[in-house]
Amino acid sequence: MSIIVANGLTHHFGNEPALEGVDLVLDMGEHMAVLGDNGAGKTTLLRILATALRPTAGRLQIAGLDAFRERRRLRHYLGYVAHAPGLYPALSATENLQFFCDLQDVARSRVGEVLDAVGLKMVAHRRSDQLSRGMQQRLAIGRAILHEPRLLILDEPDASLGPDAADLLMAMMRDKTVVLATHDHALANRLCPRTLVLRHGRSVGTATRLRVVQ
Amino acid sequence: MNPFRVALAVARKDLRSEWRTREVVPALAQFIILALLIGNFGFQIDSRNATTIAPGILWLALVFAGLVAFGRTFAAEREQASLEAMLMTPASPVAIFAGKALAAGALLVICEAVLLPALSILFGTPFSGEVVAAVLLATFGMAALGVLFAAIVARVRARELLLPLLTLPLWIPFVIAGGVAVQSAMGLPGNYQQAIGLLIDFDILFVVLTSLAARFVLDE
Repeated sequence: MSIIVANGLTHHFGNEPALEGVDLVLDMGEHMAVLGDNGAGKTTLLRILATALRPTAGRLQIAGLDAFRERRRLRHYLGYVAHAPGLYPALSATENLQFFCDLQDVARSRVGEVLDAVGLKMVAHRRSDQLSRGMQQRLAIGRAILHEPRLLILDEPDASLGPDAADLLMAMMRDKTVVLATHDHALANRLCPRTLVLRHGRSVGTATRLRVVQ
Repeated sequence: MNPFRVALAVARKDLRSEWRTREVVPALAQFIILALLIGNFGFQIDSRNATTIAPGILWLALVFAGLVAFGRTFAAEREQASLEAMLMTPASPVAIFAGKALAAGALLVICEAVLLPALSILFGTPFSGEVVAAVLLATFGMAALGVLFAAIVARVRARELLLPLLTLPLWIPFVIAGGVAVQSAMGLPGNYQQAIGLLIDFDILFVVLTSLAARFVLDE
């Protein structure tokens, strides 16, 4: 069953094209990496897939629903890790997640479980502006999985994560459909059997694991 | 999902952040005291003219303190890139807006707790429940409007300039009705009941309008 069906996704910032006619089909449980240089359109594509940005043109269906007409319904279904962690600096790691539990309608008892999963249990009471960049990224990942979404959209989740990034991400991605943007080809190769390569906002094709490495 | 729970969570989060960082309230309290002192020394205050001048100083201080308090509500979220994370949840944008307005309004009420007694001390004007009621009713509607415009201008660079330009004209009804209410509560001519009635009408009107608009402002 296809979870994401995108046709001709296009986005322009003013007159500047950021994404041009990208088509995409992703089946349930599939993991796909999005690769490309800076400015290739990775973040724009991921923000559209996460329904955070409405495309200038094109259609997007997620789980059979029109992604922009039904986007509030879909927000139960997807988790998004953006480029910036977007945490509340004066709140502790626990308080950050508790706040999002209230917004996601999730029991606050889930917070301990998530902090444990992302390896932040020891710093749960530390303010988020006192966490290292890598810990902040872990917290942002924790926030994205708080409501146990079935679709994960991850924009460079490996940024500042350290050597165990792949293991952590692999654990988070288990049993989920995932679109992941990264600059790290080795990580993409390890985590995702499928790869979409973008150049100047256009898809230059999908590739298998082996072909990207070559 | 319960919108009241969401609004309370957002308000609690904003107030907790302010309690820990103390970014807004101490600066506003200081501004208010300075505005009152300047007013006190700038005019030759005596027992005859104090009640005429004090309401004007009160509303000037309140309006400018409000612009700062409401201007920070969404600017901080944008700077931390946290607004998108909040809007990516299934929570209603109207509930999120209500929570932000509640917290910003509460910060202004804290500043008013400094302003009203200080006004009474420096200008020798009566500090009555009627004055407090008029100021609180005006704060309610001003918070709804101020936070809506703060959300609109948060994404533009010249937001500090745009916020007063958009907000002040729509705050004029509150200043006029609130001004009459405070003047009559201080013993000057004016119909207090009528002014309070107008403030309640403006509150209802602007809270409904801003709630309808908030959905579109925050959703896009």
